[in-house]
Amino acid sequence: MKEKVVIKGTKSGIILVLDADTEYTELKEAVAEKFEKSAGFLGEAEKAIAFQGKELTDPQKIELIDIIQEHCKLSIVCILEEDDTLENAFRQSMEREVAAVDYSTGQFFKGNLRSGQVLDVETSIIIIGDVKAGAKVISKGNVIILGSLKGNVYAGADGNVNAFVVALDMDPVQIRIADTIARSPDHPQKKKVKETKIAFWDSGNIYIEPLDKDVMGDIRL
Amino acid sequence: MGEVIVITSGKGGVGKTTTTANVGTGLAMLGKKVVLIDTDIGLRNLDVVMGLENRIVYNLVDVVENNCRIKQALIKDKRYPNLYLLPSAQTKDKTAVSPEQMKKLADELREEFDYILMDCPAGIEQGFKNAIAGADRALVVTTPEVSAVRDADRIIGLLEANEIGSTHLIVNRLRTDMVKEGNMMSSDDVVEILAVDLIGVVPDDEQIVISTNQGEPLVGSESMAGQAYMNVCKRILGEEVPYLDLEATRGFFQKLKSIFKK
Repeated sequence: MKEKVVIKGTKSGIILVLDADTEYTELKEAVAEKFEKSAGFLGEAEKAIAFQGKELTDPQKIELIDIIQEHCKLSIVCILEEDDTLENAFRQSMEREVAAVDYSTGQFFKGNLRSGQVLDVETSIIIIGDVKAGAKVISKGNVIILGSLKGNVYAGADGNVNAFVVALDMDPVQIRIADTIARSPDHPQKKKVKETKIAFWDSGNIYIEPLDKDVMGDIRL
Repeated sequence: MGEVIVITSGKGGVGKTTTTANVGTGLAMLGKKVVLIDTDIGLRNLDVVMGLENRIVYNLVDVVENNCRIKQALIKDKRYPNLYLLPSAQTKDKTAVSPEQMKKLADELREEFDYILMDCPAGIEQGFKNAIAGADRALVVTTPEVSAVRDADRIIGLLEANEIGSTHLIVNRLRTDMVKEGNMMSSDDVVEILAVDLIGVVPDDEQIVISTNQGEPLVGSESMAGQAYMNVCKRILGEEVPYLDLEATRGFFQKLKSIFKK
């Protein structure tokens, strides 16, 4: 015989699949029974819930949630309404996982970024051109500029402290890595030497140093 | 309760931003609590002239869109602790803000500051309307050129139509040598055409270029422009200050010039 109630678990939520042909009153009993049996297995946690298989009214959903909370130690914090919200929730968490991998992948951009232009990318970015004063590059990964950097760069935008910024001519207004902001000195030296430099984060500070072998050895992707 | 002053001109390049930076800094030097607001969204400059560009994290649009609190967006000046800057956004345009939002912002800042200076963009469109929305008084900047004076006249008309309390005139970049030769309007000529009260005459001074490039307003310095701006500040505070004798310096500058020419 077909199961009247099936519990499917995910990391942060449970999906309750209800048999469409069973009466609501009968389902209530089945839900109570099922959760009582599974109480030990489900443990004590905060979960989101989604209903599938049978159309329910809002009061019915709330009643079912009350029944669930009575018969096990779960606390239901929210209901995921439709299938696409569920889909979205799944996709979002998927994207988060994928983004974590993206630090080591990148893309190219060719051209100069001028004042007022913003380049916002999910992955690391290599810019073939200049980033001028007033322009901004935002990346969740690393930023490599094959040109001069005179504007703003925000690397590791989602908090990745291993992110770094490299520019052939490093003269930025502001560099931000994860949550740390470094700004240019108020009285810049007049004679500036063009030199390839790297900006990286270390224990709450941003350091800018010439890109030599030692520094390159310390890069973590 | 603070006073909101809009600095406007109509024509571009006559020195609105320079005037805002110097008058704001001057008022702070005189002990007032001052905030400068750059309303030129998309073409911000005031932060560069003030030398505070590298401190910008949030801006005017972030405040208006509630992405941050006002306090977070205000940049404290590096020289005067009672001087603040609210920078403009570079990546948006004038439509990102409405006159109602600017008025609300000005009213909030009024609580805490003695003077709120609005640096107005050139033109008479949305940016201008935003800048004058909350203003109690206006400083109209013009140079002694027909085009700038014509635009200033238009602006004064618009300010009157919008019932901005009082309007004062700053004649900027005046060259006494040219006035004397009859090749440039004098400040009196400009005042006569525009029929508004004069609050300052600032001579053309190359020190201004240097100070702008270094991001250090020159108000209060020994230079003629520095003194002239300081006098504007004092007049804003209601002091009676005699006008500088620009003539006297002409000789000096002329001498300097002739030395360099040799």
